[in-house]
Amino acid sequence: MTEPRNPGMSSAPQVNPAHAESSSPAVEMDPVEYTLRKRLPRKLPKRRNDVYVNMKTDFRAQLARCQKLLEGGGHREICIHGLGLAINRAINIALQLQTSSQGALQLAANTSTVELVDDLEPEDPDEAGEPMTRTRNNSAIHIKVFYPEP
Amino acid sequence: MSAAKAKMREKKMRNQPASVQYPSGVNGEGGSQNRGHGSGGHPSSKERKKPEDTGWVRGHQRYGGGYSKEMPKYITGGAFARARAAEVKAMLRAVSQTACSSHVFQALPKHMRRRAMSHNTKRLPRRLRDVADRMREKSLQAGSKKKKEPAKSKSRKARRRHGNLLLDFNRRQRKNIWLETHIWHAKRFHMVKKWGYCLGDRPTYKCYRSCYRAMSSHCLLQDLSYYCCIELKGEEDELLAALSQMTSKEAGPTFAAALCLSGRRQVSVTIYRIGQYPCQPLGPVTVLWRPKTPGIRGRQLWIWAHPTLKQDLLPELQSVCRCWEAVPPSIDPEVLCGKEKSAPHPKPENILEAKLKPGAKRKRSSVDASEPPVKKILGDGTRLPGTTVTWKSSSTGIVINDLTMEIVRYRLIGPQSHSVLTEALEAATVCKEVDKSLGSTFWWPQHCSDESNMLLHQQQADVFHTLKGISSTTELPPGTVLGLTVDDPRLTLPTKKMKVLPCVSQAQEADEDKRKELILRGVPEQCCQSSLWEESVRDDVTENKIPEQALNRMKSEMLVPGSRLSPTPPQGRVPVLLVHQPGKQVGQEMSSWGAGWDLLLPKGWGMAFWIPLVYRGVRVAGLHMGLKHSHSKAAPIFPHDFPDCPAGIRFQEEQEAEFLDKFKRHPPAKRTNYIKHGCLAPFRCPWQQLAEEWEHLTRGGGDEPAEMSVAKPLSLFIVLRNRKSLRLLSGWCRPTTSTGRRLNRELLPLSQSAVTSFLSAHGMSLVWVRLSLLSKGRPELHSMVCVPTAEDLKLLGKHQDLQEPPHRDHFKSRIKPQKKSLKSDDPEPRSTPDSDLIFGLWPDPLPSVTSHCSRVTLGWTTQGDFSLCAGHGEALGFVSVPGLLNTLLKQAGEHRGTLLLRNPGSLHYRFAKVNVEV
Repeated sequence: MTEPRNPGMSSAPQVNPAHAESSSPAVEMDPVEYTLRKRLPRKLPKRRNDVYVNMKTDFRAQLARCQKLLEGGGHREICIHGLGLAINRAINIALQLQTSSQGALQLAANTSTVELVDDLEPEDPDEAGEPMTRTRNNSAIHIKVFYPEP
Repeated sequence: MSAAKAKMREKKMRNQPASVQYPSGVNGEGGSQNRGHGSGGHPSSKERKKPEDTGWVRGHQRYGGGYSKEMPKYITGGAFARARAAEVKAMLRAVSQTACSSHVFQALPKHMRRRAMSHNTKRLPRRLRDVADRMREKSLQAGSKKKKEPAKSKSRKARRRHGNLLLDFNRRQRKNIWLETHIWHAKRFHMVKKWGYCLGDRPTYKCYRSCYRAMSSHCLLQDLSYYCCIELKGEEDELLAALSQMTSKEAGPTFAAALCLSGRRQVSVTIYRIGQYPCQPLGPVTVLWRPKTPGIRGRQLWIWAHPTLKQDLLPELQSVCRCWEAVPPSIDPEVLCGKEKSAPHPKPENILEAKLKPGAKRKRSSVDASEPPVKKILGDGTRLPGTTVTWKSSSTGIVINDLTMEIVRYRLIGPQSHSVLTEALEAATVCKEVDKSLGSTFWWPQHCSDESNMLLHQQQADVFHTLKGISSTTELPPGTVLGLTVDDPRLTLPTKKMKVLPCVSQAQEADEDKRKELILRGVPEQCCQSSLWEESVRDDVTENKIPEQALNRMKSEMLVPGSRLSPTPPQGRVPVLLVHQPGKQVGQEMSSWGAGWDLLLPKGWGMAFWIPLVYRGVRVAGLHMGLKHSHSKAAPIFPHDFPDCPAGIRFQEEQEAEFLDKFKRHPPAKRTNYIKHGCLAPFRCPWQQLAEEWEHLTRGGGDEPAEMSVAKPLSLFIVLRNRKSLRLLSGWCRPTTSTGRRLNRELLPLSQSAVTSFLSAHGMSLVWVRLSLLSKGRPELHSMVCVPTAEDLKLLGKHQDLQEPPHRDHFKSRIKPQKKSLKSDDPEPRSTPDSDLIFGLWPDPLPSVTSHCSRVTLGWTTQGDFSLCAGHGEALGFVSVPGLLNTLLKQAGEHRGTLLLRNPGSLHYRFAKVNVEV
C-alpha cells in the first residue's frame, strides 16, 4: 500500500536547478561539450512507515497517505524524508499533520547530507578516456512524526 | 440444364420404362431422354411410333400435350400387359434396390428411426441389419482406399524415448530455430514464429501487472538469445577506419567512443549504409569491444543486431571491410564433434557414467554406435555444416565471423537484477594442485595454472562481491561490462523457489570504499576481460558440460542430501559476461527506469542458468513485455519504429497485411468503417506521403527562397537522429514558463528565422516524439497526431469533448452495385474498375493525408498504451519536423507543445503533450 507507484522517483526530487552551484569547483568543464546526466540517489531499505516525499505527486495525496498511516495504519510513528527541493514540502506535511491532530503528534527533525552522482557524457564520445563522474552533496531532512509515550 | 440436374434425371430415369416421362425444361430433350434411356422396359413398336398416346405423363404439361384429347379406341392386350409388366418390374426393382447415397435406415419410417443408427447397426431392426453391415463395410473400404494409408505412428512410449524425442525435436526446429529455453517456454508461453525463431510471446497466465511490478521493483527475465552476434577481428586502426564509414558522430556515439573502445562499456550505435549518413540507415546495434589482451595484437569486437537487421548488416560489413574471401568452415573433427557428438571420442561424462553405473543397461551406446548419433542441436542447427560463417580479407586482415546462436543472452530488467545475479551465480572456485597433476584437458585447470589469470579472477570476484552491497542496479555507471568465471549454477540450486531480497547491510568501511569506487569509476578495465571471447574456451565449455542426469546422480550420492556438491567437478566452470543495460536515459522524467543486466553465456548452458535464475524469484516475460519495457523507456524498438530502415519497411508491410487480413475476416457490417472515421490508413503509416506534403505546405506557406528547393528532387524521408538538432527541437517543444526561464541558456529562441534555417537542413525529416495524454484516453497503434486549432486550445482543461465530424463514405455506393452486378450477370461499365474496394477502407491512392480531417495531421503513433509507470496514456510515434515547427511557432507560450491525438477507430480528440527527448 505504501509502495510508491514508481520507486525511481520516490525519493528523487530532481527538479533542483541549482546543481551548478553545489558542484565542486575542481571539475571545470565546457558546458557545450558535455551533457550532464544525474543518477538516482542511493536507495535505502524502506519500512512501511517511511514516507519519501517528492515534488511530482500532489501535496494533498502525500498528506493523506501520512494521515492514513498514522490513523488507519496503526503506526505510532512515521518518518518523512525529503531531499533537496522536497525538504520544504516534507516540513509542510509534518506541520500539517501536527496541526490537524490538535497537538497530539510530536515532531523530531534530523538533517543529513546525501551524496549524489552525476555522469558527464562528452558530446564527442571519442574523447573522454576516463568516465567522467562527479559527486555533489544535497541536503535531506528526516522528520519523525510520533505520538508521545503516555 | 446444369450437369448436376442432368445427372439426377438420368439416375431417376434409369429403371423407368420408356413410356414414363418427366417434364423437363426443354421439350425436345425429354423425348431424346426417353429414347436414350428406355432400356428398362420393352416398348412395342407402336408405342415407339406415337408415344404421346399411351405414355404416362407426370404433372401438368404446358401445351396440354400430355393428355391426349381422345381416348384410344382399342388396346392390344398382349402389348399392354407387357408394358405394364415392365413397369411393375421396374417399380419393384426401384423399391428393392437402394441408390448408392441413401442409407438403410432411410427406408424406415420416421418414427422408427433412432439416433446414431448409421454408427451402430444394432439400433436398426434385425431385418435390415445385414444390408446395413454390408453397406458399412463397403463405405469403409471406399474411405480407406481414397485416403492415403497413414504412416503407422510409433507407440507413445517409443515416441517419448529420449533419442526419438530428440530426433523429432530436431525435425521440428528445421524451419524455425528453437532457443535453448524453448521447451521451458513452450510449456508456459504462447509461442510465435518470428524472424526464423520460435519465441515466447506472453505467458499463458495473467501477469501483465505483476510483470510491470517486477520490472519496476524487482526483476524480470527475458531470453534474448535470438539476437545475432557478429564478431569482427583485426587491427584496431583497420577496424575503426572501416567501421567509421557506417556511423556518424552527429547521431550519437560511434564505434570509436573511447570508453567503448577500451572495452569497459557497451554502447548502442545506429548503422548507416556506407557513407550515406543521414540517409539510408540500417538500424541500431550494440557494440562490445574486447579489452586489450596482452598476448594478442589485434582487437576483437562483437556487434549484436536484431535478426531482421542481420541480412542487411552482414553484406554491408563485408563490403566495408572488404572481406570477400569466404573461409570454408573447417571440417576437422573438432567441428564435427561439436555438431554431432561422435561416439568414438572418449567423452569425460561417458567415463563418468560408466564408472557410476557399471551394471546399467546402456542399450543405445553399444547397439546404435553405427547409427548416426542423435544430438540435440546446439547453436544454429538449420545451418548446413558447409555453410560459410567466416569471411576474411587479405588486404585489411579483418575477419568477420557470424556467431549467431553461439552465445546465449539473457536480459534481467529491474532494480534488483544485480541481487538476483549475485545470488544465483558464484565466482568460480580455484582448482587445487591435485587437479593440475592429473593433466586434465578442461580449460579451467589450465587457466588456473597461470598466476596472472588467477590474479585477474580474484579481482573480478571482488568486484562481483561488491555488487552484492549495492542497493539498486541504477546506481551503476550505464553500460558497464564485467567479465567473470562462475561455478555451475546448478550446484547451488535452492530446493525451493525463493524471492531474492536486497541485502544492504551496514558494511565495513573497506567495503563502503570499494562500493563507492565501483559506483563512481565503474568496473576497472582489466576486469572486463572474459574467457568467453575465446572460441576454444567456449567450445570446450559447451562440449564438456555435465549432463543434467549425471549431475543429479552425483547429487544423489552425496552423504548429506541437499548439500552443495564438493569438490566442484572440474568441468563445472563457465566464463560469462555481465553487461549493464542503462534504463531510460532520455528526458527528464523517470530517469533510469528499467535498468538491468544482460548475461552472456556460451551456448549449451542456457537451461543450466535459466532454472537457477527462475528459482531466485524473477518473473519471466516474452516479446510482449519486451515491447512494453521499451514503451515505458520511450525507446524506439527495432524493427517496429524504424520506418526508414529496410527491415522496418519490411516489417510495416507484413504488419499491414496481417491487420488487413484480420479486418477482412469480419463481415462488412461488423467492421469499423474507417472512411467514416476519417482515418485514411489505419493499418500503415504513409510516412513518405506525409513528409512530402509537409514539405510542400511549408514551402508554399513560407515563401522561402524556393528556387533551390524546387530544383532539388524530392528525396526519401529520413528520421532525424542528429543529436544537436534534436536537442534544439526538444527545447522548442517545452512550454515557456511565465518567468521565461530556459533550461539551456545558449538555446536559440524559437523564431521564424531559426525555424527557416532548421528546415533548410531537415526538410523531409520525421522526428521521434513521446506524447503523454493530459486527460483520460488510451492511445492505440497508428493514432493520428493532429494540430489543435485556436478554438480547441481554449477548451483545454475544460473537460469538453472535441470531436471530428463524421465523414461520408462515398465508396459504399460503389461497392453495392458491384455486388448486384455479380448476381445479375450484366456487367456495368461504371463499377468494374473498383474491383479492389474493401468496405471501410480508403482505396489507393490516398488523398492528402495532412488535410483530410478537420484538424491538420502531423504524424502517427507507432506504440501507444496506458502507461503504468506514468499513470496515464502515453504514445510514441513520429511527426513531421516542418509540421511540428510550424505548429510550435503558432502556439502561445504556455500552450506550446500541446497536440491532439485521435485513435483510428474513434472520433474523439484528446489533448497530449509532445516531448522530444534526447
